Amino acid sequence: MTEQLDPRGVRFAAAVTTVVLAVVLLTGSGVLAALQAVVFAIPVAAGMRYSPYGALYRALLAPRLGPPSEREDAAPVRFSQAVGLVFTLVAAIGYLSGATVLGVVATAMALAAAFLNAAFGFCLGCEMYGLLGRVRTAR
Amino acid sequence: MGINLAVLVGVLVVATVVGLMLQRRNGTVRGGRSAEGGWQLADVAPEPADRVLLLQLSSPICTPCARTREQLESLAAEHPGVRHVEIDVADRPHVAKALHVLRTPTTVAFDRDGTELLRVGGVPRRTDLVAALPLEECR
Repeated sequence: MTEQLDPRGVRFAAAVTTVVLAVVLLTGSGVLAALQAVVFAIPVAAGMRYSPYGALYRALLAPRLGPPSEREDAAPVRFSQAVGLVFTLVAAIGYLSGATVLGVVATAMALAAAFLNAAFGFCLGCEMYGLLGRVRTAR
Repeated sequence: MGINLAVLVGVLVVATVVGLMLQRRNGTVRGGRSAEGGWQLADVAPEPADRVLLLQLSSPICTPCARTREQLESLAAEHPGVRHVEIDVADRPHVAKALHVLRTPTTVAFDRDGTELLRVGGVPRRTDLVAALPLEECR
């Protein structure tokens, strides 16, 4: 049995990520971008149950909301976290090394993806995972 | 700060427009791309009573695919002449390629001759789908 996630927790995590990345864009803080990269890196390395925002959701919101009506597979979500990690890492490197334009562009792209997930439930990274799965098997 | 704020607002506006477009497309019945050979692609032969084939393209890890399956199975159960076939694009990528399908779930409806009638990306809206298909009255 593969790991299953509460989709509302995934959206909550995307909402927190959206706020954090908006602050990064406003302040140009490479340190904050790096912290968000760490938040992405933990579940990528250790599994979704170790996601910091996911833990926050389980502690604060899940007990009030009750059990989810459906669950989603963790693998595409974990992949999307890896995509987020790449973008926020590039953003952090950009801001911290003085390549501000690189930082802004990478943050803007990560923010757009996180916002689409938070506001519309549309996970770009998960769609990419599906497409890549098709490419893998097609070869 | 002024430029940063402008970038932030710009990203959110663009992402909102993209999100609204995706949401509108999602589950909406669209005119067919006039593909042919639906029954061969589904790898089934039409029974004498079959009038419509609903070919559902799914992938192994895909939460909305399960909801689409439930919808289409109950639709096929209620309407004589409707056949629902679900295939996994990971097993048969050539079907996705032949139908130019880039995301799962996508449902392509074919008539008895195997000519495409319409297609739906995402979980179909049941009433829209029923209205668009040439269905016999329920018994």
